[in-house]
Amino acid sequence: MQISLVWKQYDVLVVGSGGAGSNAAETASEMGASVLVVAKDPLSASDTKISEGIATVRASGSEDDTEDTLSENLQLAGGDLPDANITSAFARDSQTAYDKVRANGLRPKISAITKNPDPLPLPMGGHTKRRSIGHKNSGVAFGHANWNSIVKDAKIDYKEDCWLVDIITENNKDHSKSIIGALIYDAQRGELLAVVCASIVVASGGLSTIYFPKTDTMRGNTGDSYAIAARAGAELVDMEQIQFLPFCLTSPPAFEGLLGGEPVTASYLGVLRDKNKKVILDGVYLRTRAECSAAIMKAVEDGRGTKNGGAYLDMTANKRAPKSGVYFMNFLKGSLPSAYNNVRQAMSKSEAQCEDLWEVRPSAHYMMGGIRVDENCSSIGGSKGLKNDGILGLFAAGQAMGGLFGANRLGSTSLTEGAVFGQRAGKNAANHARNISGMNPLNKKLFMEKAKKINSLIGQKGHLHASRIKLSVQRKCWENLGPIRDEARLNKTKLFISKTRKKLKNVKISNSTKWNQGLIEYLELENMIDTAELMAIAALERKGSLGGHVRADCRNISLFSKPYSTIVRFVNNGVNVTRLPRKQTEFKKLIKFKFEEQKKFLGAKILRLMPMILKDRVLEKRYKKIMNIQKASITVQPGSVEAAFGDRKIL
Amino acid sequence: MTKKETRARKYLNVTIVTHLEGKDMPVNFKYKKRHDREKPMALDVLLQAQETKLPELAFRYGCRARNCGVCTIDINGLPRIACRSVVRENDKLKAMSTLPVITDLVVRRDQISRQLRGKIYRNSGGNDLNVDASEDYHELTSCIECYACLHNCPMHEKNSIDPSESNERYEYGNPFSLLKLQTIVMDPVSSNSQKSDAITQAVNLGLDTCLNCPGCKCGIGIDLKGKVVNPLISALKKIADE
Repeated sequence: MQISLVWKQYDVLVVGSGGAGSNAAETASEMGASVLVVAKDPLSASDTKISEGIATVRASGSEDDTEDTLSENLQLAGGDLPDANITSAFARDSQTAYDKVRANGLRPKISAITKNPDPLPLPMGGHTKRRSIGHKNSGVAFGHANWNSIVKDAKIDYKEDCWLVDIITENNKDHSKSIIGALIYDAQRGELLAVVCASIVVASGGLSTIYFPKTDTMRGNTGDSYAIAARAGAELVDMEQIQFLPFCLTSPPAFEGLLGGEPVTASYLGVLRDKNKKVILDGVYLRTRAECSAAIMKAVEDGRGTKNGGAYLDMTANKRAPKSGVYFMNFLKGSLPSAYNNVRQAMSKSEAQCEDLWEVRPSAHYMMGGIRVDENCSSIGGSKGLKNDGILGLFAAGQAMGGLFGANRLGSTSLTEGAVFGQRAGKNAANHARNISGMNPLNKKLFMEKAKKINSLIGQKGHLHASRIKLSVQRKCWENLGPIRDEARLNKTKLFISKTRKKLKNVKISNSTKWNQGLIEYLELENMIDTAELMAIAALERKGSLGGHVRADCRNISLFSKPYSTIVRFVNNGVNVTRLPRKQTEFKKLIKFKFEEQKKFLGAKILRLMPMILKDRVLEKRYKKIMNIQKASITVQPGSVEAAFGDRKIL
Repeated sequence: MTKKETRARKYLNVTIVTHLEGKDMPVNFKYKKRHDREKPMALDVLLQAQETKLPELAFRYGCRARNCGVCTIDINGLPRIACRSVVRENDKLKAMSTLPVITDLVVRRDQISRQLRGKIYRNSGGNDLNVDASEDYHELTSCIECYACLHNCPMHEKNSIDPSESNERYEYGNPFSLLKLQTIVMDPVSSNSQKSDAITQAVNLGLDTCLNCPGCKCGIGIDLKGKVVNPLISALKKIADE
């Protein structure tokens, strides 16, 4: 059987209907472009929809929160890997981008005093200002706004259940490449769509599904964004930098990998212990996620891991404190309600009450690297000073893009990232399409060749199943490309990938054209393999631990050494990797940052070792301080503990 | 303990109704428990079936944590969110009966959203955004769009479930579409004309069907009758009285 080919023409094709995709589509449409949105999942069912729903909005907490301040926070957190133009753009647009989401129905709590959206009472980790705004119903509230933005005007065409097979480019006279369209498998209708367009916005999310365990991120995160862009010839940046959330659940199976807590919710006295109950990390609430993950995985490697290959998160000291213990529980429940909900359902009562230790293990969560773009979300390439050899007409936004977060992502930034860069990508994609005259009709054959390739897969005979191979990829990536890496493991990954690639021709695919699950699994498996290969090569290039990339066989890369990003791209017979020098933050600022950090750790240690009576008093004051700030900005049911803590995320 | 009892502790028998090109095919599947006391969710069963007996089994899922709303299936004829619904011996897992089945447990969903195309949040912009929304507004935006509410909805049943190729949207509404419209009515930022527009849209989708209906059931516990249907009907009556 053959899948029929259907031709479509648009100015802009947006891949993905989550935070970045919906913002891109709306903006491009407002600019007058004809827009088609395609997505594998139902409209706006994305990582944005299932997120904690906290967004960074500059200057929402205080007027002295300048663009430079926010941009610097991102730079320092990212180990100087972020592109300064991109972090500046983020800082510049965060308010307007957020208001555009609000115009579609996102309704934050408005402060009675400032008459503006009210940020959480304390700055989130790594932010030096209060600027993180929480929302009722978490990410689902964003999901509705994004849904509305695509549906509301009837100007944007959209198709669910569509798998993008490949982007199609043509070669220009100066050896650069231009987008001419994409081939898409529409599983719902059982058709292949040949979409002819000058601009494509890749906003199809991250890659956490190449791992198991992963967090509650969407199943569809099979690295599609990176694989399709790289196959089209685009460069990717910082592909070794993936964020693992350290405190995820280990059992029961239905909850495996789901979020239990974050470093901050371990609160002032939380520590990590190995299976012998020995402390392996203290001051947990001040640590980065990568530090926590590394501590857990190192214990596991030394044979000191718990039954399910993790460590114990011990928050019992917080709970035991006679006065502050009550505040702690409210703090824990209120700061990450969805995570605490997981804990309540999955763990025993005494564990959920923090009277017992939590068994935790890291899970894959967020990709900080991605498609190399400039601040206009336009694909770029080449080293500084040389000709830009990015792909003309290729744009990326949201988790698909790289260059904003570098080695570490600050909390609450990703929803804003989707809005800011979705809108930028949409605008620039529409502008680009306006200046392009139609495709050379001879290039129709490029689409037909791809379609022929897909049709040759239909009914492929074989003894293997892509769905099962995917599971082995997930396990191997976790072991060898996961939260702890070394050269031997990474070389194993490379070998595993080349072996798995050879298996593809023996994958069985049925004859059906409509929703052919075998074909879908095959396409996703291919993307997972391509992405894992690019990541492994980038991870081999960075011979030292930095941010989300932990190398057990090398030392930490110092904040004071010369920063560089890794750049990978597919070449004829493999992957090419280079280093891109990045600008270092001023020495003075780095010293100050280091000093402050050390001071905090020392403070945390002293606090932990204080006698209980003293400790309890200090903590009660601290929790009360958080509460008092909140009271000032709350108008409903004043005085009730529920109003102050219950529904709100504190950090 | 008898041999039978030991087996019962290790396995769970379920029926998975697969579907290909218009035909249902029930498959008996023996779920192997990972430990004695495991109470697997429907999604765990589907994932294990895909890993073992049915490698090309098609079903939707997303977050595994009841947030994304895409994994809804029918368990013993009732809509359930698969990732958080415990499966018992002899349960039958099948595609939702209220939407057209594509393959296995995958249903086509987008003819629901298409009925609101061009009908919500039009001309939004320029209004003062810094107004607090009520608790009711927030209750409505907690909807995860799982479509469990389509079950037994007399308004939705007026549609022919399989949409024709030319008509990609359902003519008659459902609790979800009404919820989206009522959200606009509850939104403090909406202008009066936007609000009355939303009520008109609800009427056009067949709101009169709700007059004789005992009420609808939400997959995650939103009070659809109290917070969506009744307010729309009383708003309509108010307009009619004037």
